[in-house]
Amino acid sequence: MIRKKSTRFLPKIAVLLALLITVLGCANPKPAANDKAAPTQKPKEITVSWMRDLGPSNPHAYYPNQLFSQSMIYEPLVSYNEGGELKPYLAESWNISTDGKEYTFKLRKNIKFSDGSSFNAAIVKRNFDAILKNKSTHSWLGIAKVLEKTEIVDEQTIKLTLSEPYYPTLQDLATVRPFRFLGEAGFPEGDDTLKDLKAPIGTGPWMITEYKQDQYTVFTRNPNYWGEQPKVDKVTVKIIPDSETRVLAFEKGELDMIFGEGAISLDAYKQLQSTGKYGTALSDPVGTRNMLLNSSNEKLADQRVRLALQHGLNKQSIVDGITGGVEQKADSLLSNNYPYVDLKVNPVDYSTAKAMAYLDDAGWKLAPGQTIREKDGKKLELELVYDKTDPIQKVMGEAVQAAWGEIGVKLNIAGVELTTATKLLREGKFDVRFWFNSGVPYDPHTLINAVKEPSFGVAEAHSRIPMKQELDRKIQTVLASTNEVERKKLYTEILTTLHEQSVIVPISYIKQTVVYNKSLSNVTFPASRWDHPFNGIK
Amino acid sequence: MELSSYIGKRLLAIIPLVIFATLLTFILIQLSPVDPAEAYFSASHIQPTEELLAEKRHELGLDQPLYVQYLHSLAQIARLDFGTSYLSNKPVWDEVTLRLPATLQLAFTSIILTIIVSIGLGYLSAVYSHSWVDYFSKALSFFGASIPQFWLGYLLIFFFAVQLDWLPVNGMGSWKHLVLPSLTLSLALIAVYSRLLRASILEQLQEVYVLYARTRGIHEKVIMLKHVMKIAISPVITGLGMNFGKLLTGTIIVEQVFSWPGIGRYFIEAIFNRDIPVVQCYVLLAACAFLLCNLIVDIVQMYMDPRISLKGRTDS
Repeated sequence: MIRKKSTRFLPKIAVLLALLITVLGCANPKPAANDKAAPTQKPKEITVSWMRDLGPSNPHAYYPNQLFSQSMIYEPLVSYNEGGELKPYLAESWNISTDGKEYTFKLRKNIKFSDGSSFNAAIVKRNFDAILKNKSTHSWLGIAKVLEKTEIVDEQTIKLTLSEPYYPTLQDLATVRPFRFLGEAGFPEGDDTLKDLKAPIGTGPWMITEYKQDQYTVFTRNPNYWGEQPKVDKVTVKIIPDSETRVLAFEKGELDMIFGEGAISLDAYKQLQSTGKYGTALSDPVGTRNMLLNSSNEKLADQRVRLALQHGLNKQSIVDGITGGVEQKADSLLSNNYPYVDLKVNPVDYSTAKAMAYLDDAGWKLAPGQTIREKDGKKLELELVYDKTDPIQKVMGEAVQAAWGEIGVKLNIAGVELTTATKLLREGKFDVRFWFNSGVPYDPHTLINAVKEPSFGVAEAHSRIPMKQELDRKIQTVLASTNEVERKKLYTEILTTLHEQSVIVPISYIKQTVVYNKSLSNVTFPASRWDHPFNGIK
Repeated sequence: MELSSYIGKRLLAIIPLVIFATLLTFILIQLSPVDPAEAYFSASHIQPTEELLAEKRHELGLDQPLYVQYLHSLAQIARLDFGTSYLSNKPVWDEVTLRLPATLQLAFTSIILTIIVSIGLGYLSAVYSHSWVDYFSKALSFFGASIPQFWLGYLLIFFFAVQLDWLPVNGMGSWKHLVLPSLTLSLALIAVYSRLLRASILEQLQEVYVLYARTRGIHEKVIMLKHVMKIAISPVITGLGMNFGKLLTGTIIVEQVFSWPGIGRYFIEAIFNRDIPVVQCYVLLAACAFLLCNLIVDIVQMYMDPRISLKGRTDS
């Protein structure tokens, strides 16, 4: 009986499968935008890639929202520019009270959101209030912690009142999230924008006109934009999670540009550059790749050991060898393109002789025939934890291991997941690890705050330096200071102390990379690390 | 026993297995040193303070005792509610069903490609054993079985998309987008099943019934297609059926390389970010997919080979 049925059954299965494929295929009838984009012909439409879906593009929320797309749609009251200069943006001017606790912003007139609604003090207040509904979530940013209330002074004027003076207020307001402004029609019921969003409506030069989750997002120019319109009409962002695929898609011409930190490997960048067929560029330093030597470890509590370890590193050779010169050797914690940073410190140069002298002086002796230094029967052995998904950290870790081996320090290296590495940092459970400062526009105040405030790992790493209390006091003072001269003086003192203490060992300055089709011109980097680069492209 | 009752029993047996799978997943996630609240902030580029972490843990219910957390998720699953993603704040089921069609499309295409090519190649290399077809099939199977999938994906993109410009590099949309990822997924299966079918056919050709058929003067093609293939294909169906479940859950690398917007990619991000509700839902789906595929293969086998009795299966 069953046998008889089988002859009819197989064709049915085949038909069913064919139908299923057809139906499923029809579920996605539209081809991804610009699959055949011809980059040499149409600079008015550009196709770029990003590693993950851009999310709902909510200005007040975090992952899965992506910073660069948030920066395309929404704008700040003040903008961050080269060297940390803050300029008027949606606010045309501002006034800071003498006690540093009140900030009054005069808003620019005739600004409209992409849906045509007006930008005014009422909508600014509504945005601030929505952000403050989730104050603790945003409290990683200093302004969110101290912002007490917002008041509408008149239709074009808004006043922010802080619980205590906090000088980086303007700098924090210039960051991409959360202090940017959503149009009225975008607010969900109850105004809890952290949880939901009705529509991504901003005042920025771009607006989303098409979105297919995990596939692509199409941005077109905002017709109501108040500023100079971008030169290109349309930016299509294709979601390509794999960096090698990104390179292949670019080589084929399906992408016009690849930008962003880590968007392609440094090897791929050098290889594309070497062909001479494409435009390539490196940004100014946007952050520093550091090593953190945890002074709460008995062996690393001694400044001489920390200095020895820094003298034992041939940074130039490491940076050139591993990043192919894409990154730049770092002699101080911050490059000089941050506000208040104009450090003239003596670089800790590469010298194995100095390194060994410091270690001998600290009591770590190398016995004849031994390769590892010892003191009181203990070996000078340390562990480096690195993020195993970052190929540069692994290779750099191995280079450091070899370099310190030459001065009699044994370094064990262990790769862990990023989230595990972060947890170990936060808990201060490490000897040595790579650490990255927040970069522009968050520093220098975020860096020094991390040195003072526990639970970021950096304060824990500095816990045994002799002047920790004094340093914390200075940090507290500078963040609340209202006097520019005093602020600059304090910053110089704090950063000099950090440099001399050598808990944070700067290795290289990180730069952003971009590769683009030569049909595009005026490809420049934004001043802020997390902003988008599309406005000026021709 | 009635077939419907057999199927019913098999479907019921899925429940304890699924519960076991969710328990195992829950335990494994707890063994991870990273808690989901930390992972959330890490993904959001936020350096959290202790207070912020504590608040997030409370919001996600992670400050509850472990057994409460597990029972809570189990109760939700029983109501077919897979909870809310820690990261996107959207219902997990919505997120999964949005991506599932893409993965199903890729898996179906790959399995059909595998069936067509494996049967064709296996048949020809058995009939023309030790000919160039056989050697080609052998070389292909060595290649397919040994090359890592991601590497094969890059090679195919390089030749067919970049060099020859025949197909798109990545993405989803037209049939052209399906070709390279399906081929990448299929090749390893074709490598195995074409050789399995060849061996199975050659084995059947040694059987007495083939000799009788030949002495009765039945045409060779009839012997092959109507008798030998029917039996020889049985292990291939079993293997492919089981592999369909694997394809549904194992397209992760291919989805990553080809930017295919399926659940594999979503799952990988969920694992890295400790998005527990998503991981639980995925494991549950995977377990169900494997068990259902197993059941379907058994039923198809019974239809195709009457020697496999329902009674025997029930007893075993």
